Amino acid sequence: MVRFKNRYVLCEVVAEEPRGRHCIEDRAVATAVRDAIARAYGDYGLACCSMSFTVKYLNAYTGTVLLRCRKDFHRLLCSALPLVRQLESRGLRCPCFLSTLHVGGTIRSCQKFLIQHNRRQLLTLLQNCTNEEERQRIRQSVLSCSLTEGQSQSGDEEEEDDTETD
Amino acid sequence: MAPPPAAFERRVLRNAAGHHYLRVRLELPDGGARPSAAQLKQLVVAALRELHGEVGAALPVDVLTYEEKTLSAILRVVSSGFVKLWSALTLLGFYQNRRCAFRVLQVGRMASPNVSSCCVIAWLGEHVAS
Repeated sequence: MVRFKNRYVLCEVVAEEPRGRHCIEDRAVATAVRDAIARAYGDYGLACCSMSFTVKYLNAYTGTVLLRCRKDFHRLLCSALPLVRQLESRGLRCPCFLSTLHVGGTIRSCQKFLIQHNRRQLLTLLQNCTNEEERQRIRQSVLSCSLTEGQSQSGDEEEEDDTETD
Repeated sequence: MAPPPAAFERRVLRNAAGHHYLRVRLELPDGGARPSAAQLKQLVVAALRELHGEVGAALPVDVLTYEEKTLSAILRVVSSGFVKLWSALTLLGFYQNRRCAFRVLQVGRMASPNVSSCCVIAWLGEHVAS
């Protein structure tokens, strides 16, 4: 009857430089978010959010991060996310920002949203392609996605990480 | 050509932010330099910043009266930040590396009429609550 309810916040790490991708690690993201909460909400806020705080899923190619926190304090976490300005890992520092995509109660709902979001992103990228070669590469990579025995992610589709067009 | 008569307007805010008042006394057991009114406000804001971060430090807190001899003051805070202020005052332990403690003597929602004479309040108000 009484159970701990969590909220899962799906965010995207947006970095200006392409080599900032190497900084995206779960420990780096967790420390950066914790520091932002500590600065904004002090010791009390840090303790509240840290009760069930983890980075559940991280995709360095697309910059997708899934954070978990207690249901009562998810507003604290969501309001502290815009205050994250840089990620530090292994001595590398890359300026970036986190944009929140979706807040859900279960990992499954976040996964459903992520699948739809990635589908829409692929369509947008296909439209924004400038030359035919990139278009062919995207089409090929989409057509070659298949469910094999070795793959564990059934729904996530990987994007090309060199077609960063605004 | 004459301007239209001014219409009478009456606004009632149902959930208007009320204020809570605290009468506190700072205990400094060692006989060192006593903080002035501005230093007391800085101490209160630093306590809020430590426990509740930037959001807590941005709470509108005013020191309405302050007596340096007895180190007692009356603080005013918006009602939504009352719990944050009281918890921050409770957990404050140091002032300039000296042990100290805030004793909360009285709390209320209306300032008591027998605080001080009005001109003293006004002077301290504009000196400290800036």
